[in-house]
Amino acid sequence: MILLIGWKNVWRNRTRSLVVIIAVMLGIFGGVMATGIMQGWIEQRIHDCIYKEVAHVQIHNPEYMYNEEIQHTITDYEKLANILDTLPEVVAWSPRVKLFVMAKTSWTASGFVLKGVDPEKEMQVSELYQDLAEGDFLEGEHRRPSIVIGSKAAENLKLLNYEITSEKLDSIDKEVFSAGLVEKLKTLNKKRFRNEKDFRDELKKVLAKREMNEYGDKLVKYFSFYRMGTSIQVTMQNKSGEIMNLVFKVRGVYKTFNSVFDAMNAYVDRDILNRYTDLAGNEVHEVAVITADNETGVKVADKLSAYLPEQDIMSWRKSSPEMAMYTDFSAVMAYIYVAIILFALAFGIINTMMMSVLERIKELGMLMAIGMNRKRVFGMIMTESVFLTLTGAVAGMIFSGVMVELFRRTGINVEMWSEGMEALGYASVIYPSVSLGNYMGITILVIITGVVSAIWPARKALKLNPVEALRTE
Amino acid sequence: MKVIEIKNVVKIYNDSEVQVHAVNGIDLSFEEGEFAAIVGPSGSGKTTLLNMLGGLDNPTEGDILINGFSVSEMYNGIEKHRSRISPVLKTIFRITIIPAVIRGIVKLPDIVKRMKAERKLIDFRLNNIGFVFQSYNLLPVLTARENTELVMQMQGVSKEMREKRTKELLGAVGLGDRLDSRPSRLSGGQQQRVAVARALASKPRFILADEPTANLDSKTTENLLDIMEQLNKMEKITFIFSTHDARVVRKARRVITIEDGKVISDKKTA
Repeated sequence: MILLIGWKNVWRNRTRSLVVIIAVMLGIFGGVMATGIMQGWIEQRIHDCIYKEVAHVQIHNPEYMYNEEIQHTITDYEKLANILDTLPEVVAWSPRVKLFVMAKTSWTASGFVLKGVDPEKEMQVSELYQDLAEGDFLEGEHRRPSIVIGSKAAENLKLLNYEITSEKLDSIDKEVFSAGLVEKLKTLNKKRFRNEKDFRDELKKVLAKREMNEYGDKLVKYFSFYRMGTSIQVTMQNKSGEIMNLVFKVRGVYKTFNSVFDAMNAYVDRDILNRYTDLAGNEVHEVAVITADNETGVKVADKLSAYLPEQDIMSWRKSSPEMAMYTDFSAVMAYIYVAIILFALAFGIINTMMMSVLERIKELGMLMAIGMNRKRVFGMIMTESVFLTLTGAVAGMIFSGVMVELFRRTGINVEMWSEGMEALGYASVIYPSVSLGNYMGITILVIITGVVSAIWPARKALKLNPVEALRTE
Repeated sequence: MKVIEIKNVVKIYNDSEVQVHAVNGIDLSFEEGEFAAIVGPSGSGKTTLLNMLGGLDNPTEGDILINGFSVSEMYNGIEKHRSRISPVLKTIFRITIIPAVIRGIVKLPDIVKRMKAERKLIDFRLNNIGFVFQSYNLLPVLTARENTELVMQMQGVSKEMREKRTKELLGAVGLGDRLDSRPSRLSGGQQQRVAVARALASKPRFILADEPTANLDSKTTENLLDIMEQLNKMEKITFIFSTHDARVVRKARRVITIEDGKVISDKKTA
């Protein structure tokens, strides 16, 4: 009966209850979305970090970690290779030669880490080949030494150019760009710009301010291109310590969500690099290992440390501690977000329940008079509050579930902040991710909020004197 | 056989700095199966006396024995455990910001004991006394059936028994066809009849009715009084009304007149 009265009382003042239910629903939606966005963001960052940057396990010569010199290669590479080939948890592994080099084009120079890799093996441990903006990842035969660089490095080396060509003007989207605008752009036909600023300045001269504001970014993107096949002269040390120059043709340009990584990492064929640096085939600076999942990676690192005490073996948690921290704290942070939202919601519930009690003083007095004990009165108010919040919670969960699923498919585009976000390694399209555990956790928190919020109003009801309550009008 | 004994009862309310003597030394007794009316002008102390008879209020002086149970004793049992925290601790609580939780924990043993003592009084009310109020006081969210069943559910009566008795009672008050109507769909008289059925549901020894006909027209009043008189005769339930309605006085077999908290006449009419 208490449950029945509690449920019926929720619908006594429909408008008021609906306002609270909608508030709870929106609160849950806010909490779930905030959690989902953060979780999705972190999952994407951790995934990219592992599958594009650090892998699950990295193995180095301990000396190399202190002094990244060419001669500090992994000792007893064959033993390591054998172990990696036999460990069932290891999905793939790739040896890398890593050199710090200075790269130069005809226009400018920039420094980065040159990684000599076995393309086929590297493509098994790294998803970088999926992020190619242009070209390919050193696949197949190539006549001249080739290099794959990041988009930011290409920009730094002035290999990202801008040119309005007749072909591009012909294929421009006529529904987006008006004929008048296209006519204006024709005046810049065949002019090439080596950086974005110069191109924008020239566009400003031919386009009206409104056109520039509306179409500027789209035009810059549309007319940009990487100068594939351009020669890059790379200056480095060989094994004997001699400075030497090597020319590579740009074969591919990749673009990840981490612009710092894109600026600092270039890939070439390890055989070619070995040939010019006098490194033997079994001399590598780094071995990247991929396992079935992130936690197995940590276990494999421990296992390898036991097998190969002479090597420096780091799991992704150690080589990228900030990612490990994000993983550990993301759930806690999500609950903190939800707790803040629910804390605000609690005041709404308290207000509603207090109104509900104050409106029913006479009724509560009657119930006490005819024999309802305080425990039951308390239970009745509590039940009402729990029903109220639970209804909102269920509605909120369904609404959030639908919205999260929708955004998980389409993604949330925050391109306007892409530059800042990519500088930190985060994608500008977020795919929210909410686990069942999150949903359960949030539901429990909502119920707790409902119960805690009803304590004050219920206490008020408990303190009523039946005689005085019955006298109220 | 005396079922209610009122022994020199005084009730004083402290209204600001003025003391109001609502009941001023009343000595009365009621036999089983009486159909009595307490009459008097507004403020004469009728409702206060009725509240004390129902165990809703505690006499300041004197005692009320209902079926041998002392109302004062039951109240003293509750008051004994009100708060036994030392004055020093009370002062510390008052002058420092000590969370309510700690206060709650310190007071918990007393709260539990008080609740136990209070439960005795509440159970006594639940099992012995039925109330009928002037403004019906039905739960608007429940149907006539659910309102009637509520008290039995608090008593722990089985579902089958509850349903059977509810049908009987609502049938007896002429509402057998309105079992599933909510109070808002019933007239004032019908609501009061549901209130009577609810009061009878717990099989009480006494029904205390505070101005039960004040909001009803003559025909409905007559009808309701007939039903109550019939139940009084059939089930031997003692009915005590607080009223200044002449129609109730005419029906009552005993009329007690109160003025300024004192009994000025006590007449048996039949």
